[in-house]
Amino acid sequence: MTGLLRSWRRSILFRVSILTIALTSALILVLGTVLSNQITRGVYREKLAASISEADSLVNYTQSQLDATTYRTDIKLKTVLDNLFHVGDVNTNVIQREVILIPTPTTAKKSHLYQGSSNFLDFSIIKDDLRTKVRKHTTIQSQYLTIKYLTGVQLDGIAVGSTIVIPNNQEYEIYYLFPLTQQKQLIGLIGVLLWIFGAILIFLIALITWYVIGRIVRPVREAAEIAEELTAGDLGRRLAVRGEDELGRLALAFNEMAVSLQQQISRLENLSRLQQRFVSDVSHELRTPLTTIRMASQVLYEARQNLDPASSRSAELLIAQIERFETLLTDLLEVSRFDARAAILETHEVNLTSLVRQVVDQLHAPGDLRIEAPDAPANAAVDPRRIERILRNLISNAIDHSEGRGVVIKIAQTDHEVALGVRDYGIGFSGREGERLFDRFWRADPSRSRLRGGTGLGLAIALEDAQLHEGTLKAWGRPRQGAHFVLTLPKSPGIPVSVYPIEVIPEDAPSTTLFEMDSDDI
Amino acid sequence: MPLIMVVDDDQDLAEMLGIVLNGSGFEVDLVGDGDGVMDIFRANTPDLVLLDVMLPGIDGIEVCRRIRQESMVPIVMLTAKGDTHDVVLGLEAGADDYMVKPFNPSELVARLKVRLRRSASEPISSLRIGDLAIDQVAHTIARDGKTIPLTRLEFDLLVALAKEPGRVFTRESLLGEVWGYQHATDTRLVNVHIQRLRSKIERDADNPELILTVRGVGYKAGSAGPVGTSEK
Repeated sequence: MTGLLRSWRRSILFRVSILTIALTSALILVLGTVLSNQITRGVYREKLAASISEADSLVNYTQSQLDATTYRTDIKLKTVLDNLFHVGDVNTNVIQREVILIPTPTTAKKSHLYQGSSNFLDFSIIKDDLRTKVRKHTTIQSQYLTIKYLTGVQLDGIAVGSTIVIPNNQEYEIYYLFPLTQQKQLIGLIGVLLWIFGAILIFLIALITWYVIGRIVRPVREAAEIAEELTAGDLGRRLAVRGEDELGRLALAFNEMAVSLQQQISRLENLSRLQQRFVSDVSHELRTPLTTIRMASQVLYEARQNLDPASSRSAELLIAQIERFETLLTDLLEVSRFDARAAILETHEVNLTSLVRQVVDQLHAPGDLRIEAPDAPANAAVDPRRIERILRNLISNAIDHSEGRGVVIKIAQTDHEVALGVRDYGIGFSGREGERLFDRFWRADPSRSRLRGGTGLGLAIALEDAQLHEGTLKAWGRPRQGAHFVLTLPKSPGIPVSVYPIEVIPEDAPSTTLFEMDSDDI
Repeated sequence: MPLIMVVDDDQDLAEMLGIVLNGSGFEVDLVGDGDGVMDIFRANTPDLVLLDVMLPGIDGIEVCRRIRQESMVPIVMLTAKGDTHDVVLGLEAGADDYMVKPFNPSELVARLKVRLRRSASEPISSLRIGDLAIDQVAHTIARDGKTIPLTRLEFDLLVALAKEPGRVFTRESLLGEVWGYQHATDTRLVNVHIQRLRSKIERDADNPELILTVRGVGYKAGSAGPVGTSEK
C-alpha cells in the first residue's frame, strides 16, 4: 500500500496510467450502459411491433373462422377453438406464442362460457388495466408482462389483447402472449460482448497511454536521475540528446547548464583551494622568521637589565606582541584548516571533569570559580586537544568577563551526551552582540578584548571544534547579568546530540533571552 | 659541554639557535643543508641533533633515517606544521621529539636538556622486564646475553614502564615522565615510540608480551615471562 502511494507520488507514468484507466473505465461504463439500454429498447420495440401485427392478423383470422360458424354447430366451433389453443407444447424449446381466451365480464354472467388457454397458463397474469383497455378500444392493445405457467415456469413477454365475438353474440377477450426469451438471449449476448470489448478497450488504452507517456517520461526521468547525480557531485554526467523536439532541446539545454555549472564549480573550487593553500602557506612561511624573531626577542628580554629603560621596555613590548602574533597565527591556521575541511578528529576516551580541572589549574583561576561535577566520571570519546582548547577558551572568557563576580562550571551527563556549562555573572552581552558572538574577529567591545590579547577567533574555533564532534555550542547572555555558554558533546563520535543535559538558559536567568549558534545555523 | 648539531637551511634561524643554545651552555655545530650532514655527523659525533624537517637536498626525514641507521643519538625535529603527516613520518624515521615553530626558546632548551639527561634516580641493578635484562648503568638491554640497541628515549620509556610493573601508565603520564612535557595531549609521540620499541624488543610486535596496551587508558609492562598474556 505504501509502495503504491510512493509510486503515485513519485511516478508520472504510474499516475497518468492510473488516471487514464479510471477515466476510460468510467466513460466506457456510461457509454456501455446507454448503448445497451438503446439496444434493449430497440429489440423490444421491434418484437412488440411484430407481435402486434402477428396478433392482429391472428385475431382477424380467428374472428373470420368464428364468423363462419353458427351457434348450433358446436363441433365446428370447437375445432376452431382447438386450433386456436394448439400452439405447441411448453416443453418444446421454442414457444412462438401462447393464447388466452377470457369471457368479458358481461359474457361471464351468461351461460355457455368458453375460457381457456394454451399450455396451462395462469390467467391472473392478464391484469385488469389491460383487460379494461382491451374492452374499451376496438384496436389491439399491448403490455409487457411476466408469463406464468401453472407449472411455475415464468417468462418475460408481451401480451397483445383484443376482443373477439363468438356467434350468439358472446364477447370474449383474446390475448396472445409472446415470450421475449430470444430477445433476452440476444440482449444478454450483446451485453456480454459490450463488456468484453469495453474491457479490451480499457486495456488497450492503458497500454497505449503507458507506452506514449513512457516515451515522454523516460527522458524526463533520465534528466531527473542525472540531475540527482549532478547534485550529488558527479559533475561529469550528461543527458543523451535524441532528436530536435522539445525533449531534445531540453536535454541540450540541460547539458549546457551542467557544463556551465561544472565550470563555475571547478573555478570556485580552484579559487577556494588556492586561497586556502595561500593562507596555509603564508601561515607556515611566517613561522620560520617568527621563530627567529621570537628567539631574538627572548635574548633581548633576558638581557633587559643591561639596557636603558626605553630599550628595556621595548624588549618587553616586543616579546608580548610576538606572543600575541603567534597566537593569532596559530588560530588563523586552525581556521584555515576548518575551511579546507582538513580538520581531523583524533578521539580518545577522556574524563571531561579531569580535563576541566586541568584547564582550571593551568589558567590559575581565581578562588571564586566553582566546579559542579557529578560523582560518576563524565567520560566521552573526544579529541582532547580540541576539547581542551574549547574549555580554555570558555573558561578564560568567563573569568575575563566575570568582573570578579564568580564563575560556575557545571558538568552533567546522560547516557549518550555530556555537557559543560560555563556561567559567569559579569558584563554579559546584548541580543545584537549575541548574534555575532561566534563570528570571526568579532569583538563585543574592541578596546576591552584587545587589552586581554584575544585573537577574536577563539569562539569561532570553539564552535567549529564542537561541530566537528557533532556537538553543539550555545550561548545565553544579558547585559550586566552575565553569560552562559553550554557545550554539549556526544559520548561517542558520529552520533549527533539529541538530549541536552544542561539548558542554555540558566536556572538563575532573570528572564528568557536566548542567542544560540549550533550546527543548524551554519 | 654537550655538542648539538643544528641542521637548518634558514641561516638566520640557525644563527639565532646557535646564540640561544650557546647561551644555555651548549656547543653548536651549524649545518645548512641535508647533503653534508652525514660527514659532519661522523666527524664531530654530536650529543644531540636538532633537525629541520624542510631541507633543501636530502630532506629532514631522510636525514633522520640515515642518522638512525648509524647512531642512537637523540634527534629533535623542528617543523612548521604541527599536525601533519610530517610529524608522524619524522617520529617513525626515528626522531625522539619534535618542536613546532615558532617555539619558545626556553622550552626548546628545557626539552633538549631532558633528552640529554642521564637517569638521575638510583639505578636498580637487576631491573627486568620479561626475559630482558636492563642495565641502567651501561644503558643497555639484553636478551639471552645479546645486547639490543635502543635509543636513549626508547631506553627511558622501557625503564619507566619496567620500574613499576603493575602500574598502568596513561599516555599523558608517559609524556611527562619520559619527554618532560607538562600538559601535553599529543599522544602520537607515545604511540609511535611504543611501536618502535615493540618492533625492537618483542618477539612478535603484533602480539606484544612485554609492553601491553590497556585499552582506553595507556600501557603497562607485561608481568609474565616469555609466554605472557598477550593483548587482544
